[in-house]
Amino acid sequence: MSRSHYILKRIGHALLVMGLTYLLVWTIIFLMPGDPVRNRLDNPQNPVPPEVAEHIIRYYELDRSGLEQLLLSVTRLFQGDLGYSLANGIPVTELLAQGIQSTFLLAALGLAATLVISAAVALTAVFAPWGPVRSAAAVIPLLSLSAPTFLVGLLLLQVFAYQLGWFSSIRDEGLKSLLLPAVNLGIAASPPITRVLIQGLSDAQRKPFVNVLRAKGLSEAAVAAHVVKNGSIPTVTLLGLTAGGLLTGSVITEVVFSRTGLGYITDQAVRAQDGPVVLGVVMLVAGIVTVFNLLTDLLYPAIDPRIEIYDKSSGRGAAQEKTREKVDS
Amino acid sequence: MTERIVDPALKRRSRTYAAVGAALAVVLAVTAFLLLRPGTEQGPAAASAPGTGAEGSGGTLVYLDAEIIAAGDIRNGTWQSTTLTHNITDRLIHADPETGELEPWIAEDWEISEGGLQYTFWIRDGVSFSNGQPLDAGAVQRNLQWQAWGDPENGIDPNNTFPQVESVEADEEDQTVTVVLEEPYSPFIKILSNWASSLVADETLELSAEDQQRPENVIGSGPFVVESETYGEEIILTRRKGYSWAPASWENQGEAHLEEIHWIPVLEDSARLGSLRAGEGDLIRYLQPSEEDPLAAEGFEVIGVQGSGQTNTWVLRQSVEELQDERVRHAILSGIDREAIVEDLYTDRWSTASSIVTPDTLGYRDQSEKLTYDPERAQRLLDEAGWSEHDDDGIRVNEDGDRLTIRALIDVFDATAAPLFQLIQWQLAEIGVELELVEVDYSNVSTGYSDESIGIVRTGWPQADSWVRIRNDWHFEGSNALFLQEPDEQLNELLEQHSLVQGSEREEVVGDLQDHLLDNAYVFPVLTDSQIFALQPHVRGLSWTPEARPVFHSTWIAED
Repeated sequence: MSRSHYILKRIGHALLVMGLTYLLVWTIIFLMPGDPVRNRLDNPQNPVPPEVAEHIIRYYELDRSGLEQLLLSVTRLFQGDLGYSLANGIPVTELLAQGIQSTFLLAALGLAATLVISAAVALTAVFAPWGPVRSAAAVIPLLSLSAPTFLVGLLLLQVFAYQLGWFSSIRDEGLKSLLLPAVNLGIAASPPITRVLIQGLSDAQRKPFVNVLRAKGLSEAAVAAHVVKNGSIPTVTLLGLTAGGLLTGSVITEVVFSRTGLGYITDQAVRAQDGPVVLGVVMLVAGIVTVFNLLTDLLYPAIDPRIEIYDKSSGRGAAQEKTREKVDS
Repeated sequence: MTERIVDPALKRRSRTYAAVGAALAVVLAVTAFLLLRPGTEQGPAAASAPGTGAEGSGGTLVYLDAEIIAAGDIRNGTWQSTTLTHNITDRLIHADPETGELEPWIAEDWEISEGGLQYTFWIRDGVSFSNGQPLDAGAVQRNLQWQAWGDPENGIDPNNTFPQVESVEADEEDQTVTVVLEEPYSPFIKILSNWASSLVADETLELSAEDQQRPENVIGSGPFVVESETYGEEIILTRRKGYSWAPASWENQGEAHLEEIHWIPVLEDSARLGSLRAGEGDLIRYLQPSEEDPLAAEGFEVIGVQGSGQTNTWVLRQSVEELQDERVRHAILSGIDREAIVEDLYTDRWSTASSIVTPDTLGYRDQSEKLTYDPERAQRLLDEAGWSEHDDDGIRVNEDGDRLTIRALIDVFDATAAPLFQLIQWQLAEIGVELELVEVDYSNVSTGYSDESIGIVRTGWPQADSWVRIRNDWHFEGSNALFLQEPDEQLNELLEQHSLVQGSEREEVVGDLQDHLLDNAYVFPVLTDSQIFALQPHVRGLSWTPEARPVFHSTWIAED
């Protein structure tokens, strides 16, 4: 199987996943009782008489059969029309554009914070010269995993926004506004990465090639560099998934820091059972996660040449041969 | 070379100690930092407030609301949307929040024909919408038609508090608008003072339901104009230049004092409170009752505003067999200690309800005596109703061994509802009634209300004319929200009568209506609906609509 064939097949899989996701989410939303239109019509604060309600239901085409509604929805999707939010009248594409912009910036910085925190903690836990420091660092992932995200967010706001006044808790100050939520995301997203990195580094440290390197007289720093390179493969997988996750928006962080990213929009849409928005968000998220999974798979060979996309012409033996050469060199 | 032999268990343990020690050190360091940090000023206006000065000099008000304005159309009944509507539009009639008196606004004068079928309004001269369109008789005519009949093509439903309207005519020469009704409807003038009757420009009337939901598309003639909106983040209002048609009773007869209002939803309670304390916000809506007094002690002003209209009332729905027995309903009324509820859960900014409407509502009649806490009476009534035995949990059972269990839907519209319902659950358990609490989220509220197995739901919110809503909801031919199994003719007659008669006659009818509802224990008034605001001391001149929405026209920012 050629590389391009492999990639095409993966893209085909991705599209299938997206199509099935659309069908599944659409069905769930359709089957769920209640929607914003009916909620408005039957709202106990302001109920609408049945004959008027009928008109409105017809206006939103909610009187059609499930199949008709699905066909209508798919036809519009192919025309690039994701519909309007039933709760606020904003076109779904506009809402998603607003959300993705805010979320993308936050996710990028959040991922950077995750990386920095994970690397700092894992390197300390594995390479620190003093035992107790290593042990203490190894406990940090557990601590940050146990700390509820909203609590950490509120604590960050309390200290840096309310007490020290370094940041505004409500105003958009550009890049500066991203720092606290990014740290919050970093603390929340780092524990699994740190744990896997610690594990990977510890395992790599025990591999025979480390003794070979030491025997060759390399400095500890150079040995550590090799260990890091060999021990970080599983972390890259996880990092890819985390990046996908961060890009889909964090409900809690966005609500605490009053940022209207995808997480916030999803939260509002789910609360209001705003079908078109929920569907739009899920499709976007499915797309992002699929793309990141694909990228992660394609990134492996760049980090470790031993991992190659399975190629019939070279075969497994050839790959092993290459590995041996590399270790010997 | 000697090798130290270390017990692996000991090694593990010492590692654990080290880890715990390090974790403790981190916690201590953070705590020490919080406690010993250089003193930062806290409390009211610690940060500089934007724009300060004497009355009339402008400034910006930062208003942090607890909820997001999803849609800004004038029919949208959510608390936050109606507040926006009140500040960007005007209405034909103004209701004085203190006296409830109706006074001219965009209608300079009005006349009701003998028999109550024809209403003539004289339209004030010189009023315009913010897009420049004159607010004249023609504009009023188109608004009233749109209100009365809706615009089904555009997905707009009629205003359901409006009467059945036969015709709306405008006389451009005299600047009068004449409305002819199909039958008399005494609440009409009051209804015209409500947010849903706000006047908007043709540009807005012609839009589809979706487009009308965008706050920027609501073109009114009010003291503020929506400058911009970023969904979920901020709505910026600017002062309407040349505004000079405030109701005569308003202190400020000219333009609004504030230059701008930044309306920001901050959904997280502690973030909203923190922002106020840090001086980033000038005014916040909603805080937990437990936060009210500490905040007031710090020097912030904490205001509880009780809107005029229906009180927070429980409907004892007769779709549930147990509640079809009047004695059980009366037992519930006597078995709940409302004074204890206010004392335990709330502050003095909250109060118990003394009827299904607030005392400033037309025709209010005090029903407190029927709502007195009397557990002995409740026990006696339940015994008489056949629920005389108790099971092992202390819950009453009838002779078939069925437990006296009633399902209650926790109110989704009231942020204090969960503890309120839990306390009542505990109180009713004392008389052997089991209250099973049902929780639904906001998106499923209509499903909850339509579930007939639920015996208790909350109703009652401040309204321009409560009796219209009560008629629509409780008439057997209407929504029959009491779930009566057969019509109560006396109730139906009272509900029909009140909109056909005027003045003291109407007061008499709605007074009798309150007696009838409480004598039959159809409903249980719990609390008055309180909205709690906290503001920086430099915020002055805040006023309210009769439904407890803040009006910013006279508001100004004082020098600190």
